[in-house]
Amino acid sequence: MTKIRSVAIYGKGGIGKSTTTSNLSAALADMGKRVIQIGCDPKSDSTNNLRGGRSIPTVLDAIRSGKKVEVEDIVYEGFGGVLCIEAGGPEPGVGCAGRGIIAAIELLRQKKVFEGYRPDVVLYDVLGDVVCGGFSVPIREGVAEQVYTVTSADFMAVYAANNLFKGIQKYANSGGALFSGIIANSVALPVQREIIDDFASRTGTTIAEYIPRSDTITRSELLGQTAVEYDPDSEQANVYRSLARTLLQNEKKYVPKPLEAGELKEWAESWSDRLLAEKNDMRSGPGPRNVASTST
Amino acid sequence: MVFETRDEADSALYEKKIDLSQTTCPNREQRANGINIFYGKASDLIGKARSGCLQNHERGFAQSSGCSLNFYLSVRVGTIRDAATIFHAPVGCSSSALGYRELFRGVPVELGRPAEYDLHWMTTNLREKDVVYGAGDKLKKAIYEAQRRYDPKAIFILTSCTTGIIGEDIEGAVADVQPHIDARIVPIHCEGVRSRLVQTGYDAFWHAVLKYLVKKPEKKQTDLVNVASMLSYTWQDRLEIQRLLGKVGLRANLIPEFATVEQFQQLSEAAVTAPLCPTYTDYLSRGLEQEYGVLYFMYPPPMGITNTDEWLRQIGKHTGKSDEVEELIEEEHRVWQPKMQAIRSEFDRIAAEKGSKVSVLGSLGQGRLLAQMPFFDELGLTAPAAMSQDYDNLILEELEEVVSRVGDFDLLVNTFQAAEQSHITTNLDPDLTLTCPFQGGAYKRIKGATRIHALRGDPHPWSAQSGYTGAVAYGNFLLQALKSRSFQKTLKEKTKDSYRDWWFKQGNPLYYMKTEL
Repeated sequence: MTKIRSVAIYGKGGIGKSTTTSNLSAALADMGKRVIQIGCDPKSDSTNNLRGGRSIPTVLDAIRSGKKVEVEDIVYEGFGGVLCIEAGGPEPGVGCAGRGIIAAIELLRQKKVFEGYRPDVVLYDVLGDVVCGGFSVPIREGVAEQVYTVTSADFMAVYAANNLFKGIQKYANSGGALFSGIIANSVALPVQREIIDDFASRTGTTIAEYIPRSDTITRSELLGQTAVEYDPDSEQANVYRSLARTLLQNEKKYVPKPLEAGELKEWAESWSDRLLAEKNDMRSGPGPRNVASTST
Repeated sequence: MVFETRDEADSALYEKKIDLSQTTCPNREQRANGINIFYGKASDLIGKARSGCLQNHERGFAQSSGCSLNFYLSVRVGTIRDAATIFHAPVGCSSSALGYRELFRGVPVELGRPAEYDLHWMTTNLREKDVVYGAGDKLKKAIYEAQRRYDPKAIFILTSCTTGIIGEDIEGAVADVQPHIDARIVPIHCEGVRSRLVQTGYDAFWHAVLKYLVKKPEKKQTDLVNVASMLSYTWQDRLEIQRLLGKVGLRANLIPEFATVEQFQQLSEAAVTAPLCPTYTDYLSRGLEQEYGVLYFMYPPPMGITNTDEWLRQIGKHTGKSDEVEELIEEEHRVWQPKMQAIRSEFDRIAAEKGSKVSVLGSLGQGRLLAQMPFFDELGLTAPAAMSQDYDNLILEELEEVVSRVGDFDLLVNTFQAAEQSHITTNLDPDLTLTCPFQGGAYKRIKGATRIHALRGDPHPWSAQSGYTGAVAYGNFLLQALKSRSFQKTLKEKTKDSYRDWWFKQGNPLYYMKTEL
């Protein structure tokens, strides 16, 4: 058995993590790889687009039932044979979602889900900002080995990515996962690409892929599908295939250098100044408005 | 489901393999389908467990239970001689460890309790700030401090609900500090919220012992017998086990209380791991066999004459001492059988007077459920029902054997909830009822009532239950309890009843069980 490639994908809520992850899963499955995708978000809709928009019972639902949990209760097959798992979690506003992630991942390890299915790739799709101990479990020793973050040029998304870098730095010395690249999402304008490139160079990180904004995604998701399933020949599907190839071959693993709060603020302000100046320059002709936040 | 082999069927019942690459054990719910609420025939429980239909339920009302940290670990790990313990927890989690220095003082030094026995434990005293910001650095500081203060051979870390919920990276802290200190750090994942079954705490402890403390065997010690004992085995039980094994030239490696770190390290060198309680020793026994080939057996524990005979024979088989053991059994029988017979005759006489066998209802842990039902039988007592702390599939086969030996009986699995125990006791109205110390014994009756067992700190010979002296001592104890009722009388006269009649008219002691879908 070749080594499993375990990858955690983090990013700010609504930035396109699940879209990216499930398209990546679909693309990998298309290439003949055995993939497990694990949604680590109490919303538990990470894998919906691999299953015709339908949600699956979660690991925490199974634990809550009080019965001995069997692997079949928590693993469901989706598009291209991708094995879908949702950690699940409490209703909004109650309980502790972080503890939920801890309990779910512990159960998956103890149920030997990975040994049983022998996947080539395991993708953890993890909620946002590494806000607490629970959401950092996927980057601890023995879970994922490589981490990617999905971000747009939106400053809030960049803040979340920077927080992730701090989390990685924290656990790096005790066998935790290392960083492997930024997935730049919803890149529509050159300046958005520049913003992300600049952030990467400041934090000593690399870009794994630029993913353009695309109508194909909107249309496919209305049907509960990935772009890879909905329109396999589309340009968008090819972008995800390219990302999938990168992910399979990418051996880069390093500790990113997060910006301090002050540095990050300064950096963001420098970009606002520049964007405002550009906006003024473009008054005479048609141009984008408020480019920095076109990406929610 | 149809299984091809017996092995396949068994592994559906419980997890056999111990996986030391993990940071801790699965909880008992997942490992062996553990439950803590059931009422019905033992045979019904067995049937449900075999078919995989046994399900746990919620309680709408609960009075007592323990957590995997405090029911077991906090009072015991601290006694390990050349070690220190750190509670990575709010200060309250370690409160039950406080009293034990006093309790163990009751054991005279002459009986083998170490004269110097400071319990080395510390707490990280987690507070709001630690919960919000994480307490990894505090833990590291505490480990360095434990090393400085006590210069121990091992430092045990006991985790808590708090560290579990905030997701403290215990392994990370250990990896960071271990290279800089001499003591072996042993992190035990006993977060109470992980499990409703305190047995998970046993497994978590043995997992850590197997993973971090037990050494690769340098040599085989063919005369060494591992005996892991529960808190409910008294000091006299310990002495009896040493006496019996000593007579055939064997040494008992008694853990964990008052053991040295070296005793844990050499668990791998023993000839056999013998049970006092199968559910307690299970994880350790399996782990030692799997990792180091140390043989084990699970049943029976040395309680009652027949069980003790068999326990010794099993040990004899594994240590090449079968002949010596047969001689020992014969010799012991000459001394103790007449005394046992005298007790039995007295019970028989009482039975003849009242026209039926003396009935007994006991609060039993899983181990005692297996060990004492046959012992009651040996004494000529009848046990139409039993109360059990909890149940899991690890004891399924043994329970089947007990039912085939003593017949079917009612079984109430209930973590010793006082009201439920009161209910079943009132309705079954046994001649003698036996309650668990600390748990569920809060009810009054005129007929016989006493405790099911004493605790480790009790050195009195009449509190013994193990081996031959224990069988006789316990038999006598039960006889005394049946005859003497002045305590019950006084209590009944001087205090009001705890429950209204309404409660006893409800058909089922599990009145408050929620039968959710």
